[in-house]
Amino acid sequence: MENNEKKYWKGLEELHASPDFVKHKSNEFAEELPIDELLTESKVNTPTPRRDFLKALGFGMGAVALAACNEAPVQKAIPYLIKPEEIVPGIPNYYTSNYNGLGVLVKTREGRPIKIEGNPNDPISMGGTDAQAQAAVLDLYDTSRLKNPVVKGVDSNWDAADKLVKSSLAEIAAKGGNIRILTDTILSPSTKSVIADFSSKYANVKQVVFDATSYSGIINANKNSFEKAGIPSYKFDKAAVVVSFDADFLGSWISPVEFTRQYVSLRNHKSLEHKKMSRHIQIETGLSMTGTNADARIAIKPSQHGSAVIALYNELATLAGAAKVSATDLPFAKKLTAIAKELWAAKGNSLVVSGSNDVSVQVVINAINAILGNYGSSIDLDNLSNQYQGNDAEMQDLLAEMNAGKVDALFILGANPAYSFAQATAFTNAMAKVKLKVSFADRANETAASCDVIAPNTHFLESWDDVSARTGVYSVVQPTIAPVYNSRPAAQSLLMWADLPSDYLAYIKAYWEKNIYPSVANTGTFTNFWEASLQSGSVVINQQVAKSYTFNKDINAVANTIRNANKNTSAVELAIYQNTAIRNGEHANNPWLQEMPDPVSKVTWDNYAAINPIFAKELGLTENSMVTIKSANNIVTLPVLMQPGQAMGTVSAAIGYGRTAAGKAGSNVGVNMYPFLSTVNGTFQNYNSSIELVKAEGSYELAQTQTHHTIEGRDIIKEKTLAAYAGHEPAAEGEHHASGEHAESKGEHHADLWAAYQKNGHHHWAMTIDLNACTGCGACVVACNSENNVPVVGRDEVRRRREMHWIRIDRYYTFEDNAGKEITREKEYNQVENYENVKVIHQPMLCQHCDHAPCETVCPVLATMHSSEGLNQMAYNRCVGTRYCANNCPYKVRRFNWFNYWNDDRFANYLHNEAAYLALNPDVTTRFRGVMEKCSFCAQRIQAGKLKAKIEHRPLKDGDVVTACQQGCPANAIVFGDVNDPNSEVAKLIKGDRTYFVLEEINVQPGIGYMTKVRNTIES
Amino acid sequence: MGFNFSLTKNHSLKAILTLFFAIACVSFSNAQDLKAGESLYKANCTSCHAIDRKVIGPALKDVIEAQDEAWMVKWIKNSQSLVKAGDPAAVKIFNEYNQSIMSSFPQFSDDDAKSIIAYVKAERDKPKAAPTDAAGAGSGANASAVNDYTIIGLVILIAVLILVVYVLNRVINSLEKLIRINNGEVVDAVVNAIKEKVSTFKWVLLNKKKVFYAGMLFIFVFSIWSWNQMSSINVNTGYQPVQPIAFSHELHAGINQINCQYCHSGAFKSKNASIPSLNVCMNCHNYVQATEKYNGEISPEIKKIYTALDYNPETRIYGKNTKPIEWVRIHNLPDFAYFNHSQHVKVAGLACQQCHGPVEKMTEVYQYSPLTMGWCINCHRTTEVNSKGNAYYDKILAAHEEIKKGKKVTVALLGGLECVKCHY
Repeated sequence: MENNEKKYWKGLEELHASPDFVKHKSNEFAEELPIDELLTESKVNTPTPRRDFLKALGFGMGAVALAACNEAPVQKAIPYLIKPEEIVPGIPNYYTSNYNGLGVLVKTREGRPIKIEGNPNDPISMGGTDAQAQAAVLDLYDTSRLKNPVVKGVDSNWDAADKLVKSSLAEIAAKGGNIRILTDTILSPSTKSVIADFSSKYANVKQVVFDATSYSGIINANKNSFEKAGIPSYKFDKAAVVVSFDADFLGSWISPVEFTRQYVSLRNHKSLEHKKMSRHIQIETGLSMTGTNADARIAIKPSQHGSAVIALYNELATLAGAAKVSATDLPFAKKLTAIAKELWAAKGNSLVVSGSNDVSVQVVINAINAILGNYGSSIDLDNLSNQYQGNDAEMQDLLAEMNAGKVDALFILGANPAYSFAQATAFTNAMAKVKLKVSFADRANETAASCDVIAPNTHFLESWDDVSARTGVYSVVQPTIAPVYNSRPAAQSLLMWADLPSDYLAYIKAYWEKNIYPSVANTGTFTNFWEASLQSGSVVINQQVAKSYTFNKDINAVANTIRNANKNTSAVELAIYQNTAIRNGEHANNPWLQEMPDPVSKVTWDNYAAINPIFAKELGLTENSMVTIKSANNIVTLPVLMQPGQAMGTVSAAIGYGRTAAGKAGSNVGVNMYPFLSTVNGTFQNYNSSIELVKAEGSYELAQTQTHHTIEGRDIIKEKTLAAYAGHEPAAEGEHHASGEHAESKGEHHADLWAAYQKNGHHHWAMTIDLNACTGCGACVVACNSENNVPVVGRDEVRRRREMHWIRIDRYYTFEDNAGKEITREKEYNQVENYENVKVIHQPMLCQHCDHAPCETVCPVLATMHSSEGLNQMAYNRCVGTRYCANNCPYKVRRFNWFNYWNDDRFANYLHNEAAYLALNPDVTTRFRGVMEKCSFCAQRIQAGKLKAKIEHRPLKDGDVVTACQQGCPANAIVFGDVNDPNSEVAKLIKGDRTYFVLEEINVQPGIGYMTKVRNTIES
Repeated sequence: MGFNFSLTKNHSLKAILTLFFAIACVSFSNAQDLKAGESLYKANCTSCHAIDRKVIGPALKDVIEAQDEAWMVKWIKNSQSLVKAGDPAAVKIFNEYNQSIMSSFPQFSDDDAKSIIAYVKAERDKPKAAPTDAAGAGSGANASAVNDYTIIGLVILIAVLILVVYVLNRVINSLEKLIRINNGEVVDAVVNAIKEKVSTFKWVLLNKKKVFYAGMLFIFVFSIWSWNQMSSINVNTGYQPVQPIAFSHELHAGINQINCQYCHSGAFKSKNASIPSLNVCMNCHNYVQATEKYNGEISPEIKKIYTALDYNPETRIYGKNTKPIEWVRIHNLPDFAYFNHSQHVKVAGLACQQCHGPVEKMTEVYQYSPLTMGWCINCHRTTEVNSKGNAYYDKILAAHEEIKKGKKVTVALLGGLECVKCHY
């Protein structure tokens, strides 16, 4: 079978079989152990000689024995004075809320939020979350947040802050000075209304919206093309063919969670049951997460982006019989012709998007979509998205105004231009000319540091607010805890400064009563309506029917602009992107996000210069090299990452890093790439075509989780083309269905060392993971961290391969030669021209809960054993830390606690601090130094689900038990349940024709079925 | 009443006899009135009134002095009708107490009202008992201190006695020696002593096996002993810390028969049985103030609730200066053990006493069970699953029919001994 021939690689070290890699892979322990050194007597004089060690050991044993004889400490139990009616200690409460446009449910225990889940009723999130939403709860307890308002750089109080702001405002108003409110995109209609009220109180107030990652290009293009300034609602679930030019719509572009749900609905097991699957072509520079999911991918230089879009337009215009525009020749023109044919075949059922922020490029994209008749089906221009509203031109104007000394007061809400603006230095200098600078930042960030007053805004879990992520879709943000620090909603501050009644909740309610309630039918009184909205989480009103639009603007001029803009390019071009974890850097101080491996490179805690390995070789770069990137005004030095799939002649680097005032965990992590954003045709571009790249001195080891656990070339990935799959050939052919029943039915006999477990009667928990749905986004990783109190270990420990994640997403590369032929033999790799043609498979890997678990048999103290419900149990307090189990685990999913991460000052920047403890799940213990841990299949949720059924005197239903990774997954790739219930989804899926078990040939009988990756490739 | 009736018609012997009988009657009925009055008073009046001090309503001793009985009866039965009728005294009191309306008691007969008045009068006239509680507590403390000294004293005494015995022994020995020396037996004695020592050593050498077995036996016994000692480390059965409030479960759960669930409502729905919040206490202690035990003063223990809540029983206003009560936890499970009350109380239907012991008889609660894992496991081994009427178990039990082979379905049989049932 073809799968056996195809080679998968976790990393380039493995592919090239570098000497270092070969040496390490045969080692029992991944990291170097200083055994020899310890054994030689010459080392007696080292800091910890053996005798001292023995002395310490002896003393320690004695001390422990003595300490154990102590009386148990007196523990206090402090009940509520007056218990709130809705709280029952020990039982979580859930509140609907909204995180940045995503409808969420906030789980609170005894009044403190501990977990965030997607709200299934929400039209945007549809129950899914991303890593940011999952991690948001930790931001609440961030000790780097301001504890009090800051006035003139000194810790102060609200009275002093209010007094200063109000008196200054009065002065400015008296002389008719200019007031500017600089914000990032505000999703809250009430806050916008507050700003309007504030503006009518004081004269000459103007709001400027600045987004670190700008979508001005799309907004302006839609205004130019269709007189609709805004971002349309994209519907990837209506697109049988998706062509994306550098838009990372599954990872960071506009609304990734929503798009993931939509996109996957045409590619997951439900779609494949009908033998149908969408086709996705990604044309991009660096290998993005979206690119890794594509069926076909073309690597291009950033300067070719516009030309490629024009070329595609020309191809489609030819097919449609319209006029072509003049275009430049492209090396991959043939491929574009093929793509145009595919798009044309799926007319009205396709979608072309571009991640460019160039208005001209977006205008051509509009023209393409109009030719294809996508408006009204996959693009909805009548219910616009509000998710990004930044206006680059206004930001430039503001800078000019400030420089001219025309701005008297500057209020900054959300935006952090001193960090994320390409002209950050100019902006910071211009700020000195503003008399009153007020920031609402929750920490003294780069911009707030030079403000007169910092009036810390509340976290979204602390205050009332509302959100409208799309026209007509409204959600309420509910507070789930009183403000942790002395902060105040920004809207309330503005109301107070405008001498208006400052009860923000009353304001929101009044706004809703006036603007939203009248449009809703049959809801009774406003109070009824408000309560119903709080309960469901969102209200949808006044939705328009998406209309079809035709494009009738001159495209020749636009094409010329594009060509002119990309005329002069340097030898190496820089692409600047947002990665999936850190995105624009706003949440850079979140240790969960910093330690979440990048979906593609598996790098944590750093950004880097991603360079194609062949190109790197040409430049004389090796792994761990450093490079200097120079532009006209900026120079930075970055570590090199060999990135297959990266376009030749390009380098990619992520924004969101290099913050100087993010907080304890996030400051000075990586390098700030924002200054490299270029400005083309009045908008900020995520590339820079005039840079210089030179090798720098020194070396730097990135903290990568990539090759830490290698696979020894085993056949653990199964892949098929759609054609082969639709031909009714079972995807995971042969020996699948590990349970042995299947094998026996074929007349084979497996000799088992162990007696089979009794599986009937009890629950038997199992999981399936659809490799076709999994996009590799990492929401499950953070969800698991949050649910199971998984410690954060930091960059150095990750370098030592000691990351603690219970679920990791393995990423495997396969390569093709330039003709598109799959490379199946090792020797062919050396002849590959470049590593641009790469295909990727993401495979979430967690404890497989094997029925014949190898870890269980080697544990000398029976700390890990099997439950009658099919769980591989881990009793932490029995574990003595031999680590035999980890060594015997074929999946390498066991994690060892090298430190007492929860009580060790070396980890104080991450989760070991009083505030972060509040985010712990009280139903899961934190593990101590020296014990092994691993995925428990969310045992606490299983027990809770069973108990609920027992209390309600009913059988357990499918869906009563949902694991954290499953619940967090925006793609619904993970299904968990009881296989003993024949009606459960997992019982059906695990028998599906695509399901296979990883390493089933060693007869460990794993409990997780993976569903073969199907790729919609077209044989050429 | 009979007494007045008799006085009006007393001219004959018959009348005298009647009088005699009536007096007997009066003394009898008087006692009955007081008893009925007490129970009526306690059931209906104490939430607002005390006899010798102002609570919500006026101090009753002042009222009965100021007003006659007939007026009082009318007032008790319906105070508002008196106020509306414009009775000056009634209007005055009504206004004095911020026009707060006293509850009407139309269900009372005149006799009921009168017996309450009689009881109040009787209580007023009782001589005041000397406050004893503080002194009692003090002496209690002293007593416990004396106890400690007693033990130390006893130990010293025993030590001294042992010393005396030893010294006396030595003296006797010396005297005996003297006698022997006098008798010329010195040489023999020394030789014998040496001989004895040698023979002991020889015996040890000759009986190596016996010594070995004895040693082994000693080690074995010692090991078992130390194992038991070690395994009882941090097993706090009988742990009975002093609580910030001398709350008596005996009084509440035992005598007053308050259901456990009334205060520990969490036990039926959550993992935590939960110590009741003070608003639960206040449901009763709003008016139950045990004043009768403390000479009309509020019980000092109940006062602690008021202090914690910053509640003023006079004005009935809650202040802001609250201070939570820090109970001392008695039942401490380690963090790595998950225990859920509702599973055991609601699903399994266990009585609280099974683990917590006879709480309703405990004046001060102590830890009844060892709370060790062995204790949990043993119960899981023997306890049958309470599956009756619980549809959750239907399928599971049907499947287990074959496995159990006539044995009862214990918790253990359904996996109740597995690690991850409690440790995660």
